[in-house]
Amino acid sequence: MSNDPFPGALWSQGYNSSRRDFLGRMFHGFGGLALTGLLAREARAASVIIDPLAGKAPSFPRKAKNCIMLFMCGGVSQVDSFEYKPKLNEFHGKRIPHIPKIASGELQGRLTFDHQCVGSPFKFQQHGQSRRYISELFPNLARHVDDLAFIHGIQVDNQNHGPATLHVATGSQFPGSPSVGSWVQYGLGSTNQNLPGYVVIQDPRGAPTNGAAVWSNGYLPATYQGTFLRPTGTPIVDLARPQGVSAAQQRQEFDALAWLNRRHLGDGGKDSELEARIRAYELAFRMQAAAPELVDLSGETEETKALYGLDNSKTAGFGRQCLLARRLVERGVRHTLLLHGVQIGKDSWDDHGNVKDGMIKHSREVDLPVAGLLTDLKRRGLLDETLVVWASEMGRTSFVNGAVGDNVGRDHNGHALCMWMAGGDVKGGATVGATDDYSLCAADEPIPIRDVHATLLNLLGLDDENLTYHYAGRIRRLTDIRANVLKQMIA
Amino acid sequence: MTVPFAFWRTTKNPNVLVPHRSNLNEKPVEPRQGFAVTRPLRSIVMIFSLCLASCLLAKVLLAESAPTNAVAVWPFTSLADIKPPVVRHADRVTNGIDNFILAALEEKSLTLAPAASARTLVRRLYFDLIGLPPSPGEVDAFVNDPDPKAYEKLVDKLLDDSRYGERWARFWLDLARYADTAGYEGDPDFPNAWRYRDYVIDAFNQDKPYDKFVIEQIAGDETEEIMGAGELSDLKPEPTVALTFLRLAPFTEPRGDASRHEMLSEMTATVSSVFLGLTVGCAQCHNHKYDRIPTKDFYRMKAFFSTVQLQRPLPGDIFQIGGPLPAEFYRKGEKEWATKLTEQRNAELGEARTLLAAFDKIEDLGKKSVPKISLTPEQREQRSKAKARVRLLEQDLKRLQPVAMSLRHSYGPPFEPGVPETRILNRGEWDKPGEVVEPGFPSVITGHQNPAPIRLDPFKRWPTRSRRLALAQWIVSPDNPMTARVMINRLWDWHFGRGLVATPSDFGKLSGGSSHPELIDWMARRFIDSKWSLKAMHRLILNSATYRQSSRHHDSKAETADLENTLLWHFRTRRLEAEAVRDAVLAVSGRLNPEQFGLPIFPPLPEGLAEEVKYDNSKWATQEGPEGRKRSIYIYQQRSMTMPFLQTFDSVVCDATRDRRQASVTPLQALAMYNGRFANEEATHLAARIRKEAGESPATQIQLAFKTALGREPTPDESERMQALMATSTGSSDALAPVCRVLLNANEFVYVE
Repeated sequence: MSNDPFPGALWSQGYNSSRRDFLGRMFHGFGGLALTGLLAREARAASVIIDPLAGKAPSFPRKAKNCIMLFMCGGVSQVDSFEYKPKLNEFHGKRIPHIPKIASGELQGRLTFDHQCVGSPFKFQQHGQSRRYISELFPNLARHVDDLAFIHGIQVDNQNHGPATLHVATGSQFPGSPSVGSWVQYGLGSTNQNLPGYVVIQDPRGAPTNGAAVWSNGYLPATYQGTFLRPTGTPIVDLARPQGVSAAQQRQEFDALAWLNRRHLGDGGKDSELEARIRAYELAFRMQAAAPELVDLSGETEETKALYGLDNSKTAGFGRQCLLARRLVERGVRHTLLLHGVQIGKDSWDDHGNVKDGMIKHSREVDLPVAGLLTDLKRRGLLDETLVVWASEMGRTSFVNGAVGDNVGRDHNGHALCMWMAGGDVKGGATVGATDDYSLCAADEPIPIRDVHATLLNLLGLDDENLTYHYAGRIRRLTDIRANVLKQMIA
Repeated sequence: MTVPFAFWRTTKNPNVLVPHRSNLNEKPVEPRQGFAVTRPLRSIVMIFSLCLASCLLAKVLLAESAPTNAVAVWPFTSLADIKPPVVRHADRVTNGIDNFILAALEEKSLTLAPAASARTLVRRLYFDLIGLPPSPGEVDAFVNDPDPKAYEKLVDKLLDDSRYGERWARFWLDLARYADTAGYEGDPDFPNAWRYRDYVIDAFNQDKPYDKFVIEQIAGDETEEIMGAGELSDLKPEPTVALTFLRLAPFTEPRGDASRHEMLSEMTATVSSVFLGLTVGCAQCHNHKYDRIPTKDFYRMKAFFSTVQLQRPLPGDIFQIGGPLPAEFYRKGEKEWATKLTEQRNAELGEARTLLAAFDKIEDLGKKSVPKISLTPEQREQRSKAKARVRLLEQDLKRLQPVAMSLRHSYGPPFEPGVPETRILNRGEWDKPGEVVEPGFPSVITGHQNPAPIRLDPFKRWPTRSRRLALAQWIVSPDNPMTARVMINRLWDWHFGRGLVATPSDFGKLSGGSSHPELIDWMARRFIDSKWSLKAMHRLILNSATYRQSSRHHDSKAETADLENTLLWHFRTRRLEAEAVRDAVLAVSGRLNPEQFGLPIFPPLPEGLAEEVKYDNSKWATQEGPEGRKRSIYIYQQRSMTMPFLQTFDSVVCDATRDRRQASVTPLQALAMYNGRFANEEATHLAARIRKEAGESPATQIQLAFKTALGREPTPDESERMQALMATSTGSSDALAPVCRVLLNANEFVYVE
């Protein structure tokens, strides 16, 4: 169909097609087909086989090739971690004297009721050359402050856990959209053919809000789904051979299968979707060896294990996740999503009740492992090519309705999410955006989460505007509508 | 409104307008001009100025959203009475479909591929119509049937088979974004959603006229005529269940007006794309970028839903957005089934509670005794199991209540709120109201923005009634050509793996138009004339020579002219959907539980997964027995977790309406299909079944295994190769199991020719 007016849009739909027009299926996407519509058309005309998982060139050169996203489930209190707001302590127990106009919706509503400021119970100190204030809860991370670039006053559109988590994880507060990692893999492919290109390691204590929707491929093909990796036991679902089947036995069964499939392919022998399926079995075979090796930490030195806090029961959980993330990066896995915290209860950052004890507990679990990850990446020369992103679904309120009592907590604030990035071309020590003196919302212009997503993609060499997929009558993007790259944090 | 023509250029078919390429990668902001850089300079200048001019024009027109003088282009034209074209290869014509397909092929000097073999056709038909493979006996019966009408007979037989509904309802459930949970935080259960699933299966099996099917799902509560000053009649159970369609969107904790706006907007967008093939969703915030759907039309359509009334959630259901409505079990035998199961569950619940009480008593006594005696670890485990059991049984009893997750119209003053004002919401934000609008049909179809006539009851006692009915009746009325076109194209897509419009829920400009618009129109007419019978349309399609073509056809001329097979010069080989893969595995192992309808099922998950992704214990109640081996359409659709087996084959629990499935290839598929517990257990059972039926000879066993799994005899070298595998599989206690594993993993098993 040489006069196909926009092949990208059609092909990326991935409709079923004939024997020879395989590109629509195993090969849909075409490495962001809409991104290179014309090129792809030529490629198709020439029947060039493009594997969706093969490494793909970025749109423009960037140092970072991989991304590790650290997602803190429940909503991290920004004013007890990375935002120093001395006025809060000054007005502790009193009404907030000045409420900015741009605090809208539920936040605005709650502020019209009786409320009292809640100061941070933690001390803040300046660190590094950037002289940035970090709370005493993150002593280890504070040593890396000059490598981190912070974003303040990020806004999500809904401040319930479910929609907010999806908004940060997928760019849309409604379920059904592909997660950041799926987009990254769609844009960049994978450089390791023995492991999945997008790996998710959940908190060993349980699932995040929305469950698997957080790492869903949404409307992108299943090829781009996040693969659930377990730190212990069988690392990937169905990775272990069936009981009583040895590697040698499996090998000969796979050989028989390949033989049968090749015969079925027949004389034409050109149906690349069927060929791709033959290759998928070989890949699966290799994955069976690669994945257990990946999670086997016996080759790591005691010093390294200690660096991640594996020797301490409090830090061992997230430490293991972080160490695995480094091992994944070493093996060329594009995107790793680490989830810390579960959706409800004491292991969630959702400290409505006792924010002091909660923050002490959660920060202790992650501070050392995250710092260890940064140290380890850096000394191995991997931080340059790895983008590390700290995220959560929202910030928390700096006030409570009613009176400050014992064990005061903090509620949700979708206007004051704070994130940081490190590695790659991130300008260490930079700060983008700011909240007002009471950390209610952005002091000037709020930063929509899509700007953060655009920046993340940019730091991986992808242009959010051109990373598109045609689905259900619309050209889809991670950032949906016009987003701004936060250039101030790019070196 | 005239179409700003620089935005669109015509294809060969003057009725089909497609967008200019340069517009496609733009973001959905205000229209901007674009131009093709590859054209000669002269053209560029010309196109540029035209673009600019039309852009300004478009901006003015769209802003005022007053579509006057609209020149209707396909698919918005009325259904013309088209005669099938005359073709040269008239000998290949079985029915009118072939005339249209052949005419387009002949224009390129191509023709249809030869007919597929009987063996191929029987497998194709079984998978296509009932989603299961034919047994070896069924294959032989068809292949050896001397009746020249054997094929037509088989089509009729399979359309009458009640497993047809179980296959075809799955497509509709994708469109209806069907799920058994709400998603988001806590992923709360929809205890009664399954009744809608059964309604859809039943509707397909009964060949419920499509117009009735549409009306029931949009306005099932408003169809009863009220005579004179009569009162409202009670809701009928079946349409009450049908209305679940409007409520299946994911939701999170209710938040007042914002939630209502989101809910009604979602209904508007879903109804529009499912029934009309129009993606109006983006017009919620801005005028549609590619189609003539102004924001105002979105809110005019939303106004039909403005009197939707939800019941308040049941006490304790704080995460639910609404409560159920009464809906008796109405299918034949359903009530008896529910009563029996309720009794059974109640008895089990009694036992579990007695057990729990006994443990509590032991614990109590232990506390009081000196020295204190606490429960043993086993007792504690038994107790927690009993607790979980109680929760699950209570959940089942909730599911068995004669109610539906439905909605109704508000009763209006003086009982309930009257008809609220519907306003355009600027940028789609619920708290930024703009102009007031009246309910009206999309102007892109009607050509005007006049208010829709709403026919109230004779005494106008119920001013809030009949709004959704007005919309539903227009959707299926002769004034609207879209409904029949869209459904015909969906049927085509499900039968052929690709629609005549490639994007079945979007007939707009981005769809790229249709490869055979006249064929769609011709069939749409027949669809309406057949009183909207889906089965009549299945027959028409399946009996065509186009459908009976071979998929293994090499024609280098055709490959050059039409690589993508848009013109259908051969049949597309297609991978089975996830559900059909699982069902086919169970069918050949002989362990498929054929029981139809009923509560959601919970097949075993890969080890540990249920624990890892659970939210609470009452969610995935793993069923190790035969109840967990019913067909996949009955699997609990939990939005926070898709069964990995199904997910690797591109099935995801729906969050939004979905018109087509992908067919991707991943190594995880191989792991699931080869290593996974499900596929392996069934391979072992297949081996046992074969041994029982074929006896001890390896050659006979392999022969039967091929016939069972692939519907054909093995060739001599295939038999030899598999015997060799058996001979060398000495480490395995069951030498036939490896062969069965290989067959279930073969491409031929999951691809239908």
